[in-house]
Amino acid sequence: MVKKELISRSPLRIFEKSIHGGVGKGKIGVIASKKGVGKTACLTHIAVDKLLRDRHVIHVSFAGSVDHIISWYDDIFKEIAKKRELEDAPKVQEDLIKNRVIMNFSQAGTSVEQVIGSLKAMIDEGHFPANSIIFDGYNFEEGSPESLKKLAAFAEEMGLEIWFSASLKGETPKFNDNGVPVDLERYLDVIDVLVDLRYEGAFVHLEVVKDHGDVESRDMKLRLDPKSLLIAE
Amino acid sequence: MSFDITKMRNIGISAHIDSGKTTLTERILFYCKRIHAIHEVRGKDGVGATMDSMELERERGITIASAATNVTWKDHPINIIDTPGHVDFTIEVERALRVLDGAVLVLCSVGGVQSQSITVDRQMKRYNVPRVAFINKCDRTGANPYKVKDQLVEKLGHNAVLMQIPIGLEDKLEGVVDLVRMKAVYFRGPSGEELVEEEIPEALKAEAAEKREEMLDAVSMFSDELMEAMMEENVTEELVHDAIKKGTLSLELTPVYMGSAYKNVGVQSLLDAVIAYLPNPLQIENKALDVDNDEAEIVIQPGDEQPTIALAFKLEDGQYGQLTYIRIYQGCIKKGDELYNIRSRKKFKVGRLIKMHSDHMEDITEAHSGEIAALFGIDCASGDTFTGNGANWSMTSMFVPEPVISLAVTPVDKKAADNMGKAINRFTKEDPTFQTYVDPESNQTIIKGMGELHLEVYIERMKREYNAEVETGAPQVAYRETISQRADFNYTHKKQTGGSGQFGRVAGFIEPLEEGEYEFVNEIKGGAIPTEYIPAVDKGFQMSLKKGSLIGHPVVGVKVTINDGQSHAVDSSDMAFQTAAIGAFRDTYAKAKPIIMEPIMKVNVEGPNEFQGNIFASINQRRGMIVSSAEEGMFCQVEAEVPLSEMFGYSTNLRSLTQGKAEFTMEFQKYGKVPQSISEELIKEYEEKRKKEAGK
Repeated sequence: MVKKELISRSPLRIFEKSIHGGVGKGKIGVIASKKGVGKTACLTHIAVDKLLRDRHVIHVSFAGSVDHIISWYDDIFKEIAKKRELEDAPKVQEDLIKNRVIMNFSQAGTSVEQVIGSLKAMIDEGHFPANSIIFDGYNFEEGSPESLKKLAAFAEEMGLEIWFSASLKGETPKFNDNGVPVDLERYLDVIDVLVDLRYEGAFVHLEVVKDHGDVESRDMKLRLDPKSLLIAE
Repeated sequence: MSFDITKMRNIGISAHIDSGKTTLTERILFYCKRIHAIHEVRGKDGVGATMDSMELERERGITIASAATNVTWKDHPINIIDTPGHVDFTIEVERALRVLDGAVLVLCSVGGVQSQSITVDRQMKRYNVPRVAFINKCDRTGANPYKVKDQLVEKLGHNAVLMQIPIGLEDKLEGVVDLVRMKAVYFRGPSGEELVEEEIPEALKAEAAEKREEMLDAVSMFSDELMEAMMEENVTEELVHDAIKKGTLSLELTPVYMGSAYKNVGVQSLLDAVIAYLPNPLQIENKALDVDNDEAEIVIQPGDEQPTIALAFKLEDGQYGQLTYIRIYQGCIKKGDELYNIRSRKKFKVGRLIKMHSDHMEDITEAHSGEIAALFGIDCASGDTFTGNGANWSMTSMFVPEPVISLAVTPVDKKAADNMGKAINRFTKEDPTFQTYVDPESNQTIIKGMGELHLEVYIERMKREYNAEVETGAPQVAYRETISQRADFNYTHKKQTGGSGQFGRVAGFIEPLEEGEYEFVNEIKGGAIPTEYIPAVDKGFQMSLKKGSLIGHPVVGVKVTINDGQSHAVDSSDMAFQTAAIGAFRDTYAKAKPIIMEPIMKVNVEGPNEFQGNIFASINQRRGMIVSSAEEGMFCQVEAEVPLSEMFGYSTNLRSLTQGKAEFTMEFQKYGKVPQSISEELIKEYEEKRKKEAGK
């Protein structure tokens, strides 16, 4: 398969359709689940899809090492390439890497202003024309809706979209009647798109909980393949 | 004293530039009673530190060559190899780490873990070297050993555990508290040579207790007995020592010590740690390769009775001849013994056997398993393996990075030319990453190395040590050419104009090779080209690859397949087919859409956050690609990939952009395709150069 086909046949097209085409500039999307279900895999797959479409992604992480994140991208890309028998995979991957930058912060000591400052420096002085920012590992428990609002304002100003991963507490996180995780209720106004990942039997299902204006649970008809960790139909 | 291999320690001292490593080594020599007075590194009292054999090092305050010396501390013989810190001298550090069993990682208590420490640590990990850390310069303003220990954890991923806490810091540094013995240690006497143990000062008792708990928690992971003893509250020193040793040897624990070599604080405690926790030669598994058996791995058995295996890891050309430093892995070497060099396949006799102390030599009659010694007047190269029983065993080849930058050097007069020749001869033998050749077209001598500083230092040395003043040209980048698509060839070399002629036809195709530099495939059927000429065809192609027609640089990544040809009963010969191959390549190269590749460096820049934007911009301006940036506290570390050709003068540039507060390291990463515009420029330059040469 060639790159173009890869993009057009990606399950992420279904993903986007389910959320009005995507998160959108100046908007925030969140993928939530309890620990270990597959948020990072999801986010990485979303990021790789964007990179394949020549979008520029800044991957912001608040924990762990840069090498660890790079491994994620390598693994996800490898699985995609394998699954679709991608032609000229090494060259495609090389191009992909050019469009991605990883920025690592230790959240404990870093203020949202500092993060925004650094992002701006990367985009302006680093001449990195970011379209999307992935925030992996942001601690929603310790964070605040005000911080997210600041990030949303920044996203609006720079014309980019932001995706977060949100780790829900406990073995069986609580959800309210609309399917919104209780841990995230206070953030709901600032979040434009909210997707839950939940185990149903052997598979992890993706469920849209908030889609821009609408707040109602809707199965995206997508699941996370436990072996390849790719979003699949 | 009979030789006991378990008491031996072979260690290296690795660190970031200016972390005070040379002063530390000097103190170690002093305390081990090898030298009689302590001289400051930068020659404040007119005499330089003993370890820095060269004047140049003294002036720049940096250590260049790796000197080996041995000392004895509390009945333990210790071989210390002092290694340079700058990335341009990587080969020295790599070689030292190859032959050592343990290391001391020196860090500055103010600067902490910096880019160079990261490179050095990576090297240590590559060779599985257990280490202890020493946080030096605790007498400096801003000293914060706790922060440095945290950095060891966060930046290098070590399980770093404090073994001491400081008694006072900065100008109030007095001593350290030993958390294992729970005693305060002071270093009294004019040069701190008297170790005095006292009760822990009242003010520090609580902190000491707390840090001891942390230490015990971390260390007990390596010993069930210790864990039990902790629960039963009867922890003994011995149990703790054993656990620390286990942890350190397994590479899962880095005990951290601290002090100030300059102020004579903490060095002896560090030495105690070296003998207590770093391995003896028996505790490190080394492997050799059985060359006769497909390079099968053999585990080395240290022991004097075993067949001898030794590795020559450093050469030095002195006034009396070549000195070869060796590490004996197995067996022992006595004066008069016969050894076999497996690379040169020559036997030689051991004449003088020496133990080295920086500049002076001690003659010895035998050297044992696990020791580091030196041989005199043996003709060999760095990296050669010597065996005692003629066995074809080779120590695994040492990792040698390819030079990435070259410089034309022109001596100013005839005398300089002669001296330059001598100098280059010596340098190239000592350092495989420093290479030289004469450009056949310009007749200029070209030197190649790992970076600007690497070459600069050799040029300085040429001037000072050999009186060879040279002018240098602009640094040249080691470009490569490669092909991007398959192309067929069908070439006939014919010279048949009476008398014996030449004839050969080769046909086939060339195509890009994904992995590797060159591959030759013979698919000739039915003897279209007689088998005896095939090697000549291969040779012809290989010769062609040495210089591509785009810009005269080596061609890599080519797979040649020959599938047809023709020969003549009388006129075919090796030469004919070699020439045919050369012609075939020349003709077909352009059809294969050749492209130019340039070395891309992995550049690591570290500086205060306030200059982050400037750092990003500086990389961007140099066609660099930022891979990642990591922010921690006040500092950010940026990793980027930048073409080497864009890195010249970066040092100065970065300094001015960041008020001198940022620094960078770089190492070769890969070859990458050169952008179209630059490719065109390079080709144009080359063509102009060729026209000029042709016109001469």
